[in-house]
Amino acid sequence: MEQIRNDIVDYLKANSFMDNNSSLNDNDSLTQKGIIDSIGLLELMDYICEKYSIEIPEDLLTPENFDSLQGITNMITKLAK
Amino acid sequence: MSKLVCKKCVLDSDIPGIQINEDTGLCHFCETYAPLTSQEKNEYLSRIGELFKQYRGKGNYDVIYALSGGKDSSYTLYKLKKDYPFLKIRAVQFDNGFTSENAIKNAQKMCKITGCDYFQLTMEKEVLYNTFRKAAESYDAFPKFAKYRASDICNVCITIIKQKLIEQAILQKAPFIIFAFTAGQSPNPIINLSVNFIQWSRNLFEKQLQKIGVDDKDEMFLLKKEVLENIGENVPSILHPLCLWDYSEDKVLETLLEIGWEPPGISDSNSTNCTLNSFACYNHLEKYGFHPYAFDVAGLVRSGEMSREEGLEKINQELSQPLIEEAARKLKLKIKSSQKVIVKI
Ligand SMILES: [Zn+2]
Repeated sequence: MEQIRNDIVDYLKANSFMDNNSSLNDNDSLTQKGIIDSIGLLELMDYICEKYSIEIPEDLLTPENFDSLQGITNMITKLAK
Repeated sequence: MSKLVCKKCVLDSDIPGIQINEDTGLCHFCETYAPLTSQEKNEYLSRIGELFKQYRGKGNYDVIYALSGGKDSSYTLYKLKKDYPFLKIRAVQFDNGFTSENAIKNAQKMCKITGCDYFQLTMEKEVLYNTFRKAAESYDAFPKFAKYRASDICNVCITIIKQKLIEQAILQKAPFIIFAFTAGQSPNPIINLSVNFIQWSRNLFEKQLQKIGVDDKDEMFLLKKEVLENIGENVPSILHPLCLWDYSEDKVLETLLEIGWEPPGISDSNSTNCTLNSFACYNHLEKYGFHPYAFDVAGLVRSGEMSREEGLEKINQELSQPLIEEAARKLKLKIKSSQKVIVKI
């Protein structure tokens, strides 16, 4: 879990979604914090599918699953099983 | 520390958030860059060909096409119709109030040449001007990475186009929406949309508009809720075929000139169709200190679609003062007219 979370944060930092020195809480909203928008979401989804070799079913594509580090980590853990 | 420029692309250490690795001389985008191989490109192309065969002929149109009248979108429409002559295409040109006459002429001409239907999406000029003015006056309304890709003004404009093209696709029951993004601009050739995602994008844009002070209660810019509610089974996909084809600006221009496309008279090296673009760049530079095309150009250089020299020249070129002044007048905004606007990067 911790590993996935760190991977996502690294990805967000490496691709300029967020500053290197800013921090993010697990339940912060990525969209409300201005880190990501709809185009960024598509890229993040792509990255996740490729990195973890998973397909994200359409009904999971919701803010609850995708708008926070916690949501993303949970979703990946569930799908990668 | 003195400014370091990435050896491979055009990004430099003066752009906030960009670090150049002193050992490799590369930015972190170039260090992690993994382009599609020609085999992957061919696989995508054959998948697109199969998708066309499978879903064509079911709606009023097969494709809703984003046509600006500029070179990339004109060329892509031409090649698309040449490679897939059976496609029924509605080309949509969004007149944002700053579309050059030349671009409108070219768009209509391209539709005639290719046998596609032309549709001009127009909106009340004053409402558009007001929206772009607010985008110009806003600060940090868009996420950091969005600011890297385009100016606040362009971000608003392109998001309006995306919203309205999805709306068109749903209304016309068209299975595909096609944009002429190059490999440098869009790494993702096929995007399967879902209702949830469309809904979510719509709400995000609504919030972004509110953030810059625009209340779009008539859903002029936003995908209409009523349309989305009646989407039914057929959710459109977005395709970017241009990023799978061989691309060079010279080849594109050569092909276009041969078939009668007319080169624009406006002196803006980054846009051949929009007279607001120079002002949008000026505004972005004033606010954030770097050129909004830096990442776009860097992507083109990285993918080999543009030479590094050409890229550096593009982002260091002076912006067109007359175009900036004209746009500022329309938007009722002041510019620093005393000194010359020089692009620093
Ligand atoms: Zn680079």
